[in-house]
Amino acid sequence: MELSRRWQLLRDVAAVLVTGIFMFPIFWWALTSIKPISAVFDKDRVVWFDFVPTLINYGVTLFGMSRSQLAIDDGLGMGVAGSSSYDSRQSILDSIIISVGSTAITMVVAVLAAYALSRMRFNGRDSFLNWVLGQRFMPPIAILVPMVTIYAGLGMRDNQNLVLGYVGIILIYALMNLPIALLLLKSFFDDVPQDVDQAAMIDGATRWQSFSKVVLPMVKGGVAAAAVLCFIFAWTEFLLSLFLTTQIRAIPVKIQTFVTSTGNEWGFITALGTAAIIPSFIFILLVQRHLVRGLTLGSLKE
Amino acid sequence: MGVGQAPVVKRPWLPRWLTSEHPFPWLFPAAALMVVFGLYPLYKAVETSLYKKNAATRKLVWDPDFNWTKVLFDERVWNALFNTLMYTGIALFFQLVLGMLIALLLDSDRKGYGLLRAMMTLPLVIPPSVTAMMFLLMLNGSFGVLARGLVAMGFIPPGFPILGDSSTAMAGVLLAEIWQWTPFMVLIMLAGLRSLPKEPFEAAAIDGATPVQAFFRLTLPMMSKVIAIAVLIRGIDLMRAFDYVKVMTDSGPGTATETMTSYAGRIYFGNADFPYASTISLLTLILVIVTSTLFMRIFKVKL
Repeated sequence: MELSRRWQLLRDVAAVLVTGIFMFPIFWWALTSIKPISAVFDKDRVVWFDFVPTLINYGVTLFGMSRSQLAIDDGLGMGVAGSSSYDSRQSILDSIIISVGSTAITMVVAVLAAYALSRMRFNGRDSFLNWVLGQRFMPPIAILVPMVTIYAGLGMRDNQNLVLGYVGIILIYALMNLPIALLLLKSFFDDVPQDVDQAAMIDGATRWQSFSKVVLPMVKGGVAAAAVLCFIFAWTEFLLSLFLTTQIRAIPVKIQTFVTSTGNEWGFITALGTAAIIPSFIFILLVQRHLVRGLTLGSLKE
Repeated sequence: MGVGQAPVVKRPWLPRWLTSEHPFPWLFPAAALMVVFGLYPLYKAVETSLYKKNAATRKLVWDPDFNWTKVLFDERVWNALFNTLMYTGIALFFQLVLGMLIALLLDSDRKGYGLLRAMMTLPLVIPPSVTAMMFLLMLNGSFGVLARGLVAMGFIPPGFPILGDSSTAMAGVLLAEIWQWTPFMVLIMLAGLRSLPKEPFEAAAIDGATPVQAFFRLTLPMMSKVIAIAVLIRGIDLMRAFDYVKVMTDSGPGTATETMTSYAGRIYFGNADFPYASTISLLTLILVIVTSTLFMRIFKVKL
């Protein structure tokens, strides 16, 4: 419907304003990460832009620089207790290993199952789909308590063996992401007409060949979208990695360790937080087109 | 594609259920993952909940009724259940209403609106634990920018700890929750709005219907399926809310923001009472199953 120019202008202003309100926490977060300590903790006024920007928070968390430099630069002699615990390079590596590993496993497992559930007719097909859906609805806390005991028993929780620790987290994340990946991929496979693989099989291809050579290449976009979503969910997960491992500190858990009894290290928290959300921002903008379908488990298409 | 020329590999020595013609090999990895990491721990959780933890000897004693009776008479469970339902209800209400309003606002083909819509999706991919920290920073009583704003507007006295006061802590946590997940509703509503047919609206405009009438008589009814799916998915995630509560208030002050999940976590970490923590976790599962099944029956939605 046509709006008069005045109304259209009002709408534009409102749209920008609302989006601005939603962007503000992210902006404030990023701004805090380049503030010196004195500007973060100013009790007398809100410091907007009148501060000398510093990258020391990024230096300490991302590059392992010494924390004492921060105190010198800021002219404060406050609690300089060494830098090791704020150096987050290992956490970033941990997060990458866990997210990439679990995404790879989820995708392989989900692509296979999604193809069969989309293409084959067999007894128990609906029950299997309901099982998958039920898995998505299950609160992680319900399996968490026994999982901690099981992992501890297998030496996966305290990680004397770091590889076992990674395997444990990767597998539980793979399970967490399986339903969403599977249902999303199934909806993409459903979009490909059955005639396509029927024709391939009439030409003599086996099921596997018609899947790998014909159908799978046709849903590349969907596979990429599902992989991106799995990566983001693994990257942002908190509860499972908090409980299930004591040595591997993925970024969301690592940030919490900057909350100390003497005060929160907001500079480090915001710097690591900002660095952690940038990859997700890039990825999500790449899959905008399939986002709604992904978030609704394939049931709504855009 | 050359598939036509590909020789058919036949392996007569393989039983049929191990070939790609049979669903078994396709489904086996997924089923294995869901059995080992889904069903088996669930079975163990049920089993664990049937034991009683002896406080003195720290041994587990078989006593099937103990935890399930205890849970019924535990006031903190009822408090946590109330908090969970309140949290879910309030968050759903705001996310749904705001999501719909913002979707209507951003549903335009004019230049620049695509960018605004893309920006709206950004909060969705921030780790919830980081979002919680964002609001912790902004709501801090002494230097938080949001708290300062509320003081300036006269809502709270200077230095008031929003997350440290039992009357406002839940509102503070909900603020983070609503900020992060309203965009989820916006996205889904936008998809719904864009899929609506144009003709009924043109006909309504000719008949002289106002935009508000058109919204309530046409948009809402035609969007009901989309809305139901959004509410179902969001509602399930809300009932197992953990991250914001854990990071922002750690269920406190006292038990003011304690949800089912965070209570189970507290029992687990605080008392190391695994059987009771299992029982509360399973109660959360039952809550999710019952409410989602009821919802799907009443509103006739299927995912």
